[in-house]
Amino acid sequence: MSNPIISVKDLTKTYKQTEAVKAINFEVEEGEIFGFLGPNGAGKSTTINMICTMLKPTSGSITINGYDVKKDKDKVRASIGIIFQENTLDEKLTANENLMLHCRFYKVPKDKRQERIREVLEIVDLVEVSKQRVETFSGGMKRRLEIARGLLHYPKVLFLDEPTVGLDPQTRSHLWEYILKLKKKEGITMFLTTHYLDEAEISDRVAIMDQGDIIAIDSPTALKDQLGGDMIELSTEDNDQALREIDEKVSGAEVSVEGDTIHLKVESSDAFISSFIKTLEIPITRLNIRKPTLNDVFLAFTGRKIGDAKE
Amino acid sequence: MEGILAIWQRDLTKFFRDRARLIGSFSMPILFLLIFGGGMSGSMETMMAGNMPEGTEGFNYVEFVFPGIVAMTLLMTSIFSAMSVIEDKDFGYMKEILVSPISRVSIAIGKMLGAATIATIQGIILFFLIPFLGLSYNIMALVQVIPFMFLLGCALSGLGLLFASIIRSTQGFQLTVQILVMPMIFLSGALFPVSNMPAWMDVVVKINPVTYGVDVMKKIMIDVENIPAPVLDAMGLNLTVLGQEVTMFAEVLFIAGFAAVLVLFATFSFQRANA
Ligand SMILES: Nc1ncnc2c1ncn2[C@@H]1O[C@H](COP(=O)(O)OP(=O)(O)O)[C@@H](O)[C@H]1O
Ligand SMILES: [Mg+2]
Repeated sequence: MSNPIISVKDLTKTYKQTEAVKAINFEVEEGEIFGFLGPNGAGKSTTINMICTMLKPTSGSITINGYDVKKDKDKVRASIGIIFQENTLDEKLTANENLMLHCRFYKVPKDKRQERIREVLEIVDLVEVSKQRVETFSGGMKRRLEIARGLLHYPKVLFLDEPTVGLDPQTRSHLWEYILKLKKKEGITMFLTTHYLDEAEISDRVAIMDQGDIIAIDSPTALKDQLGGDMIELSTEDNDQALREIDEKVSGAEVSVEGDTIHLKVESSDAFISSFIKTLEIPITRLNIRKPTLNDVFLAFTGRKIGDAKE
Repeated sequence: MEGILAIWQRDLTKFFRDRARLIGSFSMPILFLLIFGGGMSGSMETMMAGNMPEGTEGFNYVEFVFPGIVAMTLLMTSIFSAMSVIEDKDFGYMKEILVSPISRVSIAIGKMLGAATIATIQGIILFFLIPFLGLSYNIMALVQVIPFMFLLGCALSGLGLLFASIIRSTQGFQLTVQILVMPMIFLSGALFPVSNMPAWMDVVVKINPVTYGVDVMKKIMIDVENIPAPVLDAMGLNLTVLGQEVTMFAEVLFIAGFAAVLVLFATFSFQRANA
């Protein structure tokens, strides 16, 4: 960590009964995409809102761009752009009007405003509809407009809290294209949260969060490598019988069951699979070999899958 | 400054775009003008003339009540416009404002000026009814009263912002305001004189900021210099507080002070809204 743009120390937030964030520590380096991955209720939004000056921490300290979030609120606010989890556009106004207001809130110089509005509208492909009221937009268009708005004042860090939540899969993947395009073009630091595993993969580094704790931080590849080996998923005509056979005859595999699928985690599938298939007497109905995903990482750390966590 | 202007302009743009609200907001004052200006003016005049010594010339009740109804419009529009703070919270836009580097006092002032401007515009529109009511006010008096209407609008929007920060839901806000606005109007001298009230009511009259707003508006609009003292008396245009006759200057100062204090309250509540 040579040059952290965000640095968080012992950050804690306690609501009346809930300990939403429990003394977490992390740093974000300038220019990276930093992802927060965790199930709903993990404390991702709470953390982001504290970093963005919108929520008062119970304890702990945060610095962004060299400014203390407690003492230098205005400087911090001027340094960041945020796309909140929920829509914060004025739907009665046009796209242009929303952007113009933002320029004025952030004191973008008068002679630069038109040019910048044009620029960000182009990034998110909304130039044609810029004179329409936002209430006529689809969910994906609104999200894109929010991203455009967050960029208008050239923030040092752009926060995106679940930017694709509630969108259909196609719109989701488009939106990520825009975000990656942006990243390439502007090189700004991005801090995003998601509970979709595939989306966390685009991050340079991921912090996995669960129940207010950060349980691992690393690049997605490193996290998966740390787990090591391969994942084998299989279904058989009689899983109970199969499990008994595996227990008796197979060694060198971690076994778990989910629904009608048996999961085996092995050192190397090449060495394992041919003898395994010969060993098993119960007919196999389905077999799948894959590398570990971030879900397996989450599973390994918490014993649960992200999708199983409380909604 | 830019921030104040941006917030002010946004609220105005939205006001002019919302036709239904625009039309709806006129229905109440027009209804009151019809009832008090037309239907009830005869009986009000008789009632109020009862207080006057024999032989003095009567007065025109409609002329008396019109400034009161303008003040009432200011009160209702200012307070209801301040509800935009709650709506902005409900629709999420308040977060866009609060996460920006605009100072919290600018947010409060912008919101107050927005509501006050809308209220003043509504009040001025009522001026166009003057010829149809058979009234004639001095044009200069009308021009002079506009800045005061704006000041009164600021104070009353400040009150609205205070309610908005305490109540937090639009339904609750509407209910509370409806319950509060009526007594504030009836006990302000807007519709009938409040000079001979029972002691406890008199206290309410004297702490009601609308009382002074109405009083100043009447003093500016009605040609008080040329009205005989007994009539002024019957009209309740000789407001006294603790036995002292209040000057217009003192009243304006009081209302300005009231607005300033409320802007501080609003600033504080925007500060508290997040970190
Ligand atoms: N305003 C609040 N009051 C009380 N509890 C809250 C509030 N906001 C969030 N929580 C609780 O804090 C925990 C973390 O929530 P959140 O940060 O929204 O999680 P995430 O964004 O990861 O889904 C949850 O248990 C949630 O119920
Ligand atoms: Mg969240």
